[in-house]
Amino acid sequence: MLIWSRSERVAVWAIAAVILGILFFAPLAVIATASFSSQWNGALPTGPTLTHYRDVFTGENGSAIKASLVTGLFASMAALVMGTWAALALRLQGEQWQKRLGWLFFVPSAVPSVSVGLGLLVAFSQRPLLLNGTIAIVMVAHFVLISAFTFGNVSAGLSRLPPDFEQVASSLGARPAYRLRHVTLPMIAPYLLAAFGLSFAMSMGELGATVMVYPPGWVTLPVTIFSLTDRGAVFSGAALTIVLIATTLLLLLGLERISARTMPAAR
Amino acid sequence: MTTPTLAAFASSQEDVPAPWTLSGADAAGPATAAASHPGARTSHDTIGGSSVSFEQVSVAYRGNVVLKPLDLKVEAGEFLALIGPSGSGKTTTLRAVAGFVQPAGGRIRIGDVDVTNLPPYERGLGMAVQNYALFPHMRVEQNVAFGLKAQRVEKSLIAERVQEALRIVGMTQYATRYPRELSGGQQQRVAIARALAVRPRVLLLDEPLSALDAQIRRSMVEELARLHRELPHLTVLYVTHDQSEALTLADRIAIMRDGEVSAHGHTMQLYHRPPNRFAAEFLGRANLLPAVVETPVNATGVAKVRVGSFSVNVSSSEIAPGSRRLLCVRPQNMTLQRGGSDLNTLTGTLRSVHWQGELTHLALDVEDTPVRVVLTRPDALPQTGSRMDIHFCADDASLIPEEAHA
Amino acid sequence: MPDILALRLHAIPRARNAGWVALPIVVIAGLFFYPLSLIVRQAFSGDAGVAAIQPFFSVLHSRYFGHALLSTIEIATAATVGCLVLGLVLALILTFVPFPGSVLVGRLVDTFIALPTFLVTLAFTFIYGSAGILNSLLQQYFGFAQPPVQFLYSAWGVIFAEITVYLPFVLRPLLASLSLMDPSQIEVASTLGARPWRVIRQVILPAAFPALIAGGSLCLLLTINEFGVVLFIGAKGVTTLPLLIYSKAIQESDYQAACIIAVINIVLSLGLFGLYRAAARRLGA
Repeated sequence: MLIWSRSERVAVWAIAAVILGILFFAPLAVIATASFSSQWNGALPTGPTLTHYRDVFTGENGSAIKASLVTGLFASMAALVMGTWAALALRLQGEQWQKRLGWLFFVPSAVPSVSVGLGLLVAFSQRPLLLNGTIAIVMVAHFVLISAFTFGNVSAGLSRLPPDFEQVASSLGARPAYRLRHVTLPMIAPYLLAAFGLSFAMSMGELGATVMVYPPGWVTLPVTIFSLTDRGAVFSGAALTIVLIATTLLLLLGLERISARTMPAAR
Repeated sequence: MTTPTLAAFASSQEDVPAPWTLSGADAAGPATAAASHPGARTSHDTIGGSSVSFEQVSVAYRGNVVLKPLDLKVEAGEFLALIGPSGSGKTTTLRAVAGFVQPAGGRIRIGDVDVTNLPPYERGLGMAVQNYALFPHMRVEQNVAFGLKAQRVEKSLIAERVQEALRIVGMTQYATRYPRELSGGQQQRVAIARALAVRPRVLLLDEPLSALDAQIRRSMVEELARLHRELPHLTVLYVTHDQSEALTLADRIAIMRDGEVSAHGHTMQLYHRPPNRFAAEFLGRANLLPAVVETPVNATGVAKVRVGSFSVNVSSSEIAPGSRRLLCVRPQNMTLQRGGSDLNTLTGTLRSVHWQGELTHLALDVEDTPVRVVLTRPDALPQTGSRMDIHFCADDASLIPEEAHA
Repeated sequence: MPDILALRLHAIPRARNAGWVALPIVVIAGLFFYPLSLIVRQAFSGDAGVAAIQPFFSVLHSRYFGHALLSTIEIATAATVGCLVLGLVLALILTFVPFPGSVLVGRLVDTFIALPTFLVTLAFTFIYGSAGILNSLLQQYFGFAQPPVQFLYSAWGVIFAEITVYLPFVLRPLLASLSLMDPSQIEVASTLGARPWRVIRQVILPAAFPALIAGGSLCLLLTINEFGVVLFIGAKGVTTLPLLIYSKAIQESDYQAACIIAVINIVLSLGLFGLYRAAARRLGA
């Protein structure tokens, strides 16, 4: 509604197309293309092939997928529980506490992820808890980074919930626990699902903390992609990247479907 | 919806113990439990509803007094409307009864029970709010059953109560729908059914019609009036800023202003004989003319007052000659017809005429005081600017004190 | 009978509720704040664990640290400015000059937030690298001897990649804020004779300002902390603080230096975080 003439509008759209094209679509297309090529010297790739994808599911690359998925699922679930618990508990305390303590849960997302990894390394390479070199430390690192995000999401969702619903439920005789299970949680379920999806995506792409703490047997996708590209196997790296993106998007889509189907009434 | 069903609703209250229990009271055993919670019948309560008493109840929020110490008693089965402008404290009063607001002082009783320190889910109330607050993830019947399930009523009883409640509000055929499929008026009816299903001692309604269109609001007011007629033992606390709703529905009205009750009484009484200026102007429109009492009240309860250069008869209680008062006459009680000798007459200059379909509004100046007249028939009106007589009878006028509060 | 009930002090039990917060706090304290305290301790302890400020200052004064700090700030600032400018342009277009599918595009851009940051960098290698598409095309058609486009292996490459990666973080609050704007404001402004540019400057921008500040400070925070992009570009001479932490700890096993750098990085981040929270509060988020 700012631009009223058709020619001006077309010009503006062209600008948008260029910006969006350069920034978003080109990179995605390029990586997809590279994953299917054996050579790319020049403007266009050559030698379409599926070998990279075949390699993906074997050997160390295959275990990378498993490592990423398992870490992602566990960390996201734990982070969802923790984040929701914290958001609900803080909300009970009222506004003052929420402001004062809320930031505590956001801080892990504000510091560089490498420092989170460094901290875990320093803290758990010694007694009382020795986690260095275990799978657990990777999960813990992801969990810490993601919790801030789920807490923020769920808090935002809770703040958008009009208090009327819980008050009426209370006046009808529902005790706090009953109310939580039957009114509050169902009504913020969409936010919970969205938080889970996005935190899973974040875990899949996490690099900074993972690279500080991962044990040799548990190499996640991002770390594998880095080592592949570092030693020149860019095409395999591209294929693995596509697998990462596809897995993430599939899960997000799946969650959206679940959300739409089981909670049509909640919208 | 048949009368026998409603009668069953009302009378079966006695057969079935109220579904709510206090934590810990269960352990004492059913007999003691029945005797020690607000659901138990005592000699003080009528079947169905309880009285609500406020004893010096005050509420403060962040250091500001929102409700000044309030003493008010709502009788069992009474429909009380709390009206007033925003910020008057009416919603706070309702929420104090519900338990969402902790009073700074005073006690609230429902029936004989002091509920001041009880959480909302132990007070045995039912509530409907402005934006319905129907649980979007539950169907209508699940919404209505919510309170019963939460209070662990027997399963066999729940279905029956739900059907009953839906029948009362006329929403039986929508039982399996979701709230988002219903219109505003329908949603509010379901919200009321939900509140009624738990057999509340008091029904709290917080501006339930404010979110509805004018048309729907009119039909809903009639619905609520019917509800009150058919459930005469249910105590209702109704908060609204719309005085016409209050006038239609309420047995008694409490007009609130600045955190306190400015006027309180039976609806018609309050309307015909407002105790103060605020009440006169808030409940309907009123013409207020400065008057001085000339002759004290005679045997028929009529006093003579002087309004400007006019002498006017007003029905009044005992009053001393020479007192200054405001003469209050409602615009619709004034007429252009010359009648018998007992009619009062004022002469004024016609300033404007506004025809509004059903009604015609006249604005006059009677010796510098604006007076409004409302007619249903705009016959034979003189030109604006000319002098004309208006008449009213003594019974339709009252005297109120000059100061703003009673 | 009813007096028994009066004795039941069931007023909103605040004291009881406080217990629920305990578990999450304990978890976050144990898994984050405790390690953090150890980092700080290690940063300020000399050999044999004695508290010492000397190692701290020696790192602070070292050339490599100063260079990394400067790079970090420069790159982050440039990337943020780029994000703000491009984000504003895109948000304006998507909101006020919508084309069929602009909603879909908006959501697609949203999805990019979920993707890893190094994805873009990898793609850029293919497009802008020495043997990439752009260089090959240019060399083919203009006969350059050497690949002309070399910005990728410099700070500019990092900046460009970060703009791409973090644009959605500015775009989202902007889109949300602009969509909440009352369209009749713009219509009235146009009726009164204002041209698009003036409408943007005097009607839209002031309304979008809080979102710009919030998005911008978030962007600054995230770019200061960015690791994946810098790692993947792997350009010589382009070192940022997070990358320095990594190389000191993992590649050189110099944990003390890593902790010292981490402390400074964290202080910087927390400062920016505070800024972001203040800005977001103003936005009403």
